[in-house]
Amino acid sequence: MIVVTTDSIPGRQVVATLGFVRGNTVRAAHAGEDAAAWLKNMVGGEIEEYTKLLAESREQALDRMIAEARARGADAVVGLRFESCEIAGGCAELLAYGTAVKLA
Amino acid sequence: MAYADGELSGAERVEFERLLESREDLRRVVARERELAVLGRLAAGPEPMDAEWRALEQDHVHRAGLGVGLTLVLGGLALGAASLLYLLWSAALPLALQAGATATVVGTAVLLLRALRARLRTRPLDPYTGVRR
Repeated sequence: MIVVTTDSIPGRQVVATLGFVRGNTVRAAHAGEDAAAWLKNMVGGEIEEYTKLLAESREQALDRMIAEARARGADAVVGLRFESCEIAGGCAELLAYGTAVKLA
Repeated sequence: MAYADGELSGAERVEFERLLESREDLRRVVARERELAVLGRLAAGPEPMDAEWRALEQDHVHRAGLGVGLTLVLGGLALGAASLLYLLWSAALPLALQAGATATVVGTAVLLLRALRARLRTRPLDPYTGVRR
């Protein structure tokens, strides 16, 4: 599955647009990670616990979007975008979306 | 694995997904394949501070600090909760208040244990826990 942020794929021809596909998730760190993050927030630097949380959410949302594209018989997803918002404190919500297409 | 790579046809996928419902060993294999696929697409190399973080994780003082800190915090919380319940029941308070507060504490603990049990059951099948950045 080819997944790109651009609207087209150089060297490949889009023969059909299968529609909008998306995947989302909301993940949380456990209380111990939240406590560690709170302490790191006081001394500065990267908060690895939250970097990891966001990365896990990104990959899961991406996989869910790809699964939907596969189920529709797509060869690629173009115009990939990520959206994020905060639903609850300490949670990461990620929405990945794009357009599923069939390639020649 | 053809299923994890999305290479099965529609009918084959449905059949395999039916098998997944009843076969825990297959679910674990799929989760492992997905984990490898996710880690495989994270192509960035290590960063300079990674080695230092690994060294810190092995450092005895650093590890002891985590153990002592966690023990004190969790022990303190448990002791505090037990003391509050003791004070609640030893004071001359209305029975409804004592029972209500105790039910809230016990109910919260039961719900927390339920959530923890669900997480422990599903964590081995979560292919994203190995993602670090």
